[in-house]
Amino acid sequence: MTPHIITPDKRNMAVHLALAGLLLLVCIAALSIGTVRISPQDTLRALTGSADPMSNFVVRELRLARVVAGLLSGAALALAGCLMQTLARNRLATPGIIGIDNAATAFAVASVVGVGVSVAPPLMALAGAATATAIAFGLAGVQGTRGYRFIVSGIGIGAIAGAVTQVMLSRVAIDAANAAYPWTVGSLNARAEQSVLLLGAGLAIAYLILLNIRRPLNTLQLPDATAISLGTRIKTTRFLGLALSVLLTGLAVAVCGPVGLIALLAPELARSLCRPGRIPLTASALLGAIFMLTADLLGRTLFAPLEVPVGIITAILGSPYLLWILLRPSPRSLT
Amino acid sequence: MSHTDTATLAAERITLAHQKYIVAENLDLRLPTGRVTAIVGPNGCGKSTLLNGLARIHVPKRGAVLLDGKDIHRLPSREVARKLALLPQDNSAPEGLTVADLVRFGRQPHQGWMKPWSEEDQRTCDRAIQAANMSDLSGRALETLSGGQRQRAWIAMAVAQRTPLLLLDEPTSALDLGHQIEVFELIRELSRQGKTIAMVVHDLASACRYADHMVAMKQGCIIGQGAPHELVTPALVRELYGVSCDLIHDPATGSPVLVNVRRQH
Amino acid sequence: MLVTLASLLYGAGPVSAGDAIRALSGGGSSEARFVITELRVPRTLIALTAGLALGLAGALLQALTRNPLAEPGLLGVSAGSGFAVALAILLGATTATLTTLVAQAGALAGCALVIAATRVQGMGNDPIRLVLAGATMSALLLALTSMLMLLDQRAADEIRFWITGSVAGKSLAMLEATLPSIAVALLLSAFVARPLAAMALGEKAAVGLGHHPGRIRFLVIISVALLVGAATALAGPLIFVGLVVPFIARAFAGPDIRKTLWLCVPTGPAVVLAADVVSRLIARPSEMPLGVVTALIGAPVLLIIVRAGRLPSL
Repeated sequence: MTPHIITPDKRNMAVHLALAGLLLLVCIAALSIGTVRISPQDTLRALTGSADPMSNFVVRELRLARVVAGLLSGAALALAGCLMQTLARNRLATPGIIGIDNAATAFAVASVVGVGVSVAPPLMALAGAATATAIAFGLAGVQGTRGYRFIVSGIGIGAIAGAVTQVMLSRVAIDAANAAYPWTVGSLNARAEQSVLLLGAGLAIAYLILLNIRRPLNTLQLPDATAISLGTRIKTTRFLGLALSVLLTGLAVAVCGPVGLIALLAPELARSLCRPGRIPLTASALLGAIFMLTADLLGRTLFAPLEVPVGIITAILGSPYLLWILLRPSPRSLT
Repeated sequence: MSHTDTATLAAERITLAHQKYIVAENLDLRLPTGRVTAIVGPNGCGKSTLLNGLARIHVPKRGAVLLDGKDIHRLPSREVARKLALLPQDNSAPEGLTVADLVRFGRQPHQGWMKPWSEEDQRTCDRAIQAANMSDLSGRALETLSGGQRQRAWIAMAVAQRTPLLLLDEPTSALDLGHQIEVFELIRELSRQGKTIAMVVHDLASACRYADHMVAMKQGCIIGQGAPHELVTPALVRELYGVSCDLIHDPATGSPVLVNVRRQH
Repeated sequence: MLVTLASLLYGAGPVSAGDAIRALSGGGSSEARFVITELRVPRTLIALTAGLALGLAGALLQALTRNPLAEPGLLGVSAGSGFAVALAILLGATTATLTTLVAQAGALAGCALVIAATRVQGMGNDPIRLVLAGATMSALLLALTSMLMLLDQRAADEIRFWITGSVAGKSLAMLEATLPSIAVALLLSAFVARPLAAMALGEKAAVGLGHHPGRIRFLVIISVALLVGAATALAGPLIFVGLVVPFIARAFAGPDIRKTLWLCVPTGPAVVLAADVVSRLIARPSEMPLGVVTALIGAPVLLIIVRAGRLPSL
């Protein structure tokens, strides 16, 4: 008798297809709903430029860029979160929670308000993300990145970065500070075309590399000794994964600011949908994009004509879930 | 599942250290091919460090570990992984991972970018699960298994790696007697199929019973090696653990058994 | 004392240290007198009071939860208070008294949540997890506060100024409104100091020594809420003060909780006042929000405590 093993491939395939379909629906919804409501059919027609001029303009000129920015940044944040969770072996260790988003924002704000530097915001955000990651993992040192201690040091780093951002904002004219405010809580309003292009390129490259190293990455879920004995060069793999996570976070923050909790929730949900044993990279990215677009859509429509920044929506919707993880009487292991 | 290919593993004058603190110095060791070697010694004597050194987890400060005569740290890691499998002491796995999922990891060194999951990979996994007597449990999540079953699942993963060499770090620690026997008999069976096996064993009695070759360590030095019935003497036991004992021979197997173990006076 | 003097002498206005001394003694130009008596004296007093309240609240909360990281700001007590105030401002509240009461009610709710969380199984032995839950709670309340600000542009300006934490531009009337509750809280703290020290040995030991843990917990929560609410109403949600002050006090006082509590009384005001002076000087000629300075001082202290091999037990 040979035991029959169900391969995880089929289930994951189904999950990915379902998520891709859902993402498509959310995209169409995000394109058609707004101050001007356009029917889904007209929206699709407008995409190809064959609807009435008004719809064409609204969909293609006003909404498409925002949806693309949301899609890319949501996917990038979720992918970065998924990677960082795996590498730190800590499901709470996402860039937002350990202060990397805040640092990227601080650096980007520095270049926006022009404190002595004139580098483009995306590059500055990258530098910020890299700095904070180095500090967070450096501080963890011998004590390791597992457990809550690592996370709380991250909160400290985030607090410092947040305070530095405030310092810079308090030193510039009140108008500039007000303009930067929605961006510091995470919003799709402040996006610049150049940043979105960079993010798209970065996401594509990172995703290709990740597909290539997905097997060694998977072994990092097992103990180090096992990963090594399976032939994984763990230092190289870990460094590459971390670098990609930093790249994705930095580029995404340059587009949308520190939109919290997507990087935590999307991989979390993806993990429960997909079969265990594999890091749910694609599913995380799809879910991240779905979360971002949905949250932005809510932010745009809930109190219309007022617009609530997407970062506030994700914080309000996501925090209760995080609290639930933390306060459950017997929490699952942090790995 | 027979292994036509074999591989040799040897340590040549290796010095192992944790940061600056030297754990073992100038060790020479050659694993007898096709046999079960047990590394024994008191707590903190460096036996696990030695095993991790052999498995290239630990990089020696001086000396070299030779796999088929070549420095193990100069060989590509995946090539080594096709010849040598390790069952580490820490065997935590992501929650929800099933036995089958875990065993699939064992095929990793044989897969590549252009070589997706194949029929042969699947057959090897199925056979590894059968060999570990886990067929009925292959769909179960690891955290729902008993300690002995979980340990057998991990051994199945190492078996799926299809390596001529298998290293195990305290494979029976924290298992009760029944589960210990279960694991040791699986190890014997794998050895019969031609694998070269080395394991760190805490319990001297089990080492005597299940190993062909024993390596005794104390304070980072190898103080003796040989077949259990030649190596294990009351004098050795006193030197290793500081206790006195008498020896008799197991009427069924002939392996040495310690009796009347007492504090040394 | 030194810091108080510095706070009176240095500031954004074009008044030199010499002028300030003259103004204090009743002389000097009328402009200098105005700056000193109308702006700097109230500001200094408010900073002193807020520091006292937050430092003491931090020490009490840490003693009660036996967790050196338990800080009103980190655990969401300040954020609860801040949310309540924002809500009140949005609904049109303006009088100082109402704000104080509302802030204290919010702080009480935040406190109750924290204590409820510590009762969750396993949380007691995991101080860091509690902090993380508190930080999440704070983030949630902060997001809700931001949402309120978006809803009403007028209230937003008022809230935004207040939410980063500042002791500037507050009147003495506001200070007067909070004084009674701070006095009550001080009395309560004096009363619970001895039983709290016993609680440090564990609840059972405290019962054995003739104390009532439930009653003590209740009193401590009330005083923390009164203190944090008052401080928040005065100066906005100042994060990390409740962490830094007891940290310094403990360094001098050692493990004795009573000594730590009393040392917080001078340390708290000194820390906040120093932070306020720094906030005035660092970004001249404008000012930096006080909350930012306390975060810059406090976050490294948090890192130090977390990094220390094992968390110092109380």
